[in-house]
Amino acid sequence: MSASETKDQVAALGEKYKYGFVTEIEMERAPKGLNHDIVRFISAKKNEPEWMLDWRMAAFRRWCEMTEPSWARVRYPKIDYQDAYYYAAPKKAEQYKSLDEIDPKLIETYNKLGIPLSEQKKLAGVAVDAVFDSVSVATTFKEKLNDAGVIFCPISEAIRDYPDLVRKYLGSVVPVTDNFFATLNSAVFSDGTFVYVPKGVRCPMELSTYFRINASQTGQFERTLIVADEGSYVSYLEGCTAPMRDENQLHAAVVELVALENAEIKYSTVQNWYPGDENGRGGIYNFVTKRGDCRGANSKISWTQVETGSAITWKYPSCILRGDNTVGEFYSIAITNHYQQADTGTKMIHLGKNTRSRIISKGISAGKAQNTYRGLVSVHPRANNARNYTQCDSLLIGAKCGAHTVPYIESRNPSARVEHEATTSKIAEDQLFYCLQRGLSPEEAVALIVNGFCKEVLQQLPMEFAVEAQKLVGISLEGSVG
Amino acid sequence: MSAALAPIEARRAEALDSFRVRGMPHRRFEHWRYSDLRAVLDAGQVAQAGTARWQISEIPDGVEMFDLSSGGAPEWVVKNLGNIGNRPTMEEASLAFADGGVALRVPRNRRIVEPVRLQISHAGNLRVLIVVEDGATVSLSELHTMDAGLVRNVGVEIALGEAAEFSHVRCAPPAPKSFNVEHIAVEAGRNARYTAHFGNFGSRLSRTELHILLGGEGSEAHLSGVTVLGAELHADVTSHIEHVAGKTLSTQLFKHVAGGRARAVYQGKITVREGANGSDSRQTAKALLMSQRAEADLKPELIIFADDVKCAHGAAVGDLDADSLFYMRSRGIPEREARRLLIHAFLEEAVAVIEDGALRDIVWRDVENALPRAMEAAK
Amino acid sequence: MMLEVKDLHVTVGGKKILKGLTLSMKAGEVHAIMGPNGSGKSTLSYVLAGREGYEVAGGSVTYDGHNLLPMKPEERAAKGVFLAMQYPVEIPGVTTLTFLKTALNAQRRARGESELDAMNVLKFVRQRATALQINEEMLKRALNVGFSGGEKKRLEILQMSLFEPRLAILDETDSGLDIDALKLVAEGVNTLRSPQRGMLVITHYQRLLNYIVPDRVHVLAEGRIVREGGKELALELEEKGYSEVLKVPA
Repeated sequence: MSASETKDQVAALGEKYKYGFVTEIEMERAPKGLNHDIVRFISAKKNEPEWMLDWRMAAFRRWCEMTEPSWARVRYPKIDYQDAYYYAAPKKAEQYKSLDEIDPKLIETYNKLGIPLSEQKKLAGVAVDAVFDSVSVATTFKEKLNDAGVIFCPISEAIRDYPDLVRKYLGSVVPVTDNFFATLNSAVFSDGTFVYVPKGVRCPMELSTYFRINASQTGQFERTLIVADEGSYVSYLEGCTAPMRDENQLHAAVVELVALENAEIKYSTVQNWYPGDENGRGGIYNFVTKRGDCRGANSKISWTQVETGSAITWKYPSCILRGDNTVGEFYSIAITNHYQQADTGTKMIHLGKNTRSRIISKGISAGKAQNTYRGLVSVHPRANNARNYTQCDSLLIGAKCGAHTVPYIESRNPSARVEHEATTSKIAEDQLFYCLQRGLSPEEAVALIVNGFCKEVLQQLPMEFAVEAQKLVGISLEGSVG
Repeated sequence: MSAALAPIEARRAEALDSFRVRGMPHRRFEHWRYSDLRAVLDAGQVAQAGTARWQISEIPDGVEMFDLSSGGAPEWVVKNLGNIGNRPTMEEASLAFADGGVALRVPRNRRIVEPVRLQISHAGNLRVLIVVEDGATVSLSELHTMDAGLVRNVGVEIALGEAAEFSHVRCAPPAPKSFNVEHIAVEAGRNARYTAHFGNFGSRLSRTELHILLGGEGSEAHLSGVTVLGAELHADVTSHIEHVAGKTLSTQLFKHVAGGRARAVYQGKITVREGANGSDSRQTAKALLMSQRAEADLKPELIIFADDVKCAHGAAVGDLDADSLFYMRSRGIPEREARRLLIHAFLEEAVAVIEDGALRDIVWRDVENALPRAMEAAK
Repeated sequence: MMLEVKDLHVTVGGKKILKGLTLSMKAGEVHAIMGPNGSGKSTLSYVLAGREGYEVAGGSVTYDGHNLLPMKPEERAAKGVFLAMQYPVEIPGVTTLTFLKTALNAQRRARGESELDAMNVLKFVRQRATALQINEEMLKRALNVGFSGGEKKRLEILQMSLFEPRLAILDETDSGLDIDALKLVAEGVNTLRSPQRGMLVITHYQRLLNYIVPDRVHVLAEGRIVREGGKELALELEEKGYSEVLKVPA
């Protein structure tokens, strides 16, 4: 990418956090706080079957006995789980029958976010599920996907329409009792996306979900379940934004991926939740559990993430390489600026023979931010000839930030090979000077150099998101030099 | 009790309280996750283990020695004993329960050529204090003799003055039924240099833990080690190097070989504190697994709070290179012999850094003794 | 016959590489195997040396009247099979001299001969090394580590000279050598020609054969010997190229 291109992209975006607006729309909320009745309320709102309510209640009971984890390198005031709303939805949301009936304010909101939903303006080649606070408000290209046999719908709808599929796979990758935040999600998740790609089908277009937090004092708990049946392929991407507010809002999602024999799932995230202001006020607490299960032989799951938002990021998209010859990948860019804190990485669990994994992590820390890579590569005794390669690079911009690398390597098979390399350094002054001398502003120079540093990961993103992500890299580092 | 001992006794009482409150470390302690000491040993066994024995056959000229079991500790002992490092629980235990040990001091600008040879034997707790004053130089070999069924818990403290140099070789032969814990705390002054090598051949649970504070500008730490394990032996080397001052340098090179049902652990944490500009840290840890039931755990960790730094680590687990093995066999070297040679080659660079030829030979001898067991598959 | 390869079929990673290769050689002869890239030349050398992962799917290899195929690589070496590799392996941490001594004595031991002590090994190595311009300093370095292409190939020939094999296989020994290094290596090989020894020279180019003149030339293509002839066949190949020559029925 040339310098002038980057320059133009950065210039075009101008302002700092451009997604920080609030949509004024009439909302319906559950009362504040969390108890059995709220869980029942959410379930009832979704017209859920009895089994789903039981599932939620079991999760809630379990959650009451759990304590919040403290091992991550993130610091935040104690969260009062009773001082938040667990359900918020635009009042008319349930009545939308087609895209044309959606409240114009919502259409307008998504237009401003760059995600047109109306039939005429839909993104070519990308089907979108739009989740607004606790509900899905629109899903595009449903018919076209139906023709291919692909199910792409809000998970609340899937629970009603495809109960057998949902029951079979929900909680099979991330068990209800997995961890504090995943258990909380299991109790109160309100919406999210369900994808099923049938045997041998190559999903004809990119699928995406756009998550938007709008209401104040509200947590978002979405749940995504993607099942790729034998020999199928799907590429899925998600984007996230939220308004600028002084308060911290909780986002605790669970994503489960299941790849059966010879299937492949590519999952990309551009996470741009509101990060808080330059003094560390406000921002989303992003506590997310994402895990993929390469259940069938020769399957592949690839995670790509660009994490630029959130006050706190706590997420470890992982792969369980259960089937023989399965492949897991994790490509990550995590950028923290001002007072942001990120503790993110992956787990590659090698169970099957000839399983392969690759981890490329690029962490950039600026301002007073703390950025931690935390990753586990575990090779079990049966995983003959397992291979892992990990490269973790950290870049520091400024003397007040921190960059940390915490890899765990555990091998119990003599024919396995695990290789890990990590570097930490500051942004090269000679590179910066070279760019400045050629007329770039300090911020453009940083954007350019950091984009170069991240190139290997950016290349993994689908085209539609790659350009957006490149711009984001520059924007999220604004104010870090000069 | 003499008056001079009072501060030491006070410090020991404090250590006892601290150990009682925190107790034995276990796998829920992040830095003990691969060595669950509490599961195999209880606090009472450590408390009742008594005091281990030490011996130095010949004190080189210019080195001052003080027997910690005797009264009337000199000021340099009172000042330092129990006061170096960050007081982890097992080190507090050794301070509380050891009724003895040895303290060595090398006065300003004395350069001692002959290494001090320290032998440690029998069960029990033990304390070692080494004070190397400004501009002084000395080396120490710390050789453990291990008998069956013993519990040993050693706390070593090393204070290095400005431009002091200290090199340390520690060797612990295999002891399948014993528990061997050692904590080494180092504080390095301006331009001081600590060099250490660890030959670990395993115990039922063996833990060598280092905490090195590079507090003086330009100070350095260079660690290396080999671990060769077979049968059901376990060895854990855990280091934490803190770069506090600017222009500090640390290097680490650890090579582990595990066969049988053995478990080899390396955890290396580097912290670069805010303001430690110009610091440079490099770390390499590699492990070879020789059997289907052996396990290697590596956790190289970088915690960086300064931007003007160069830090890198590499870690790898694998088996012997198939091309090299074939090359050797095609030249007539039988497979077992070829494997042995390649393991040697794998360990070579980590042993080669030991400067003293006699100490290097001791490590190689222990490696030779340990290799046949390490090359065995699990029974 | 010293070496008889009959209808040899070999697969590597499930892929058929040799598809019915037949070849025989008497002691005292030098045979060249020529062939385009991917024809199976290196596979043949590895199968003869006993490398793992090269699955013999059919056929036989007889060496001095014995079945070669069940033998381990080190047994073959002790019985006089030597493979000079195209890419000699670098082994950090093992000095060249240590390696030579270990290999030499392992072979002697396997043959029931007495082992040589360090002094005698050194004398023997020095004596053979001089002709190949290999100095003491090279012997002290780790095996092949940091060696130039020419140094690596010279060290291979030195080993051939020390081990005195019955059957020497030279796999693309000329690759990566400039003309001076090539002459030096060829000279080393030529001094080792003897009535008791057979040599299989594997090469892509005719160039090497100007210096090591073969008794027979075999052309290998797609896993089989497709043409055989005297040394003039190599010149014909050089002149016309593989594609032209391979069109002519054997």
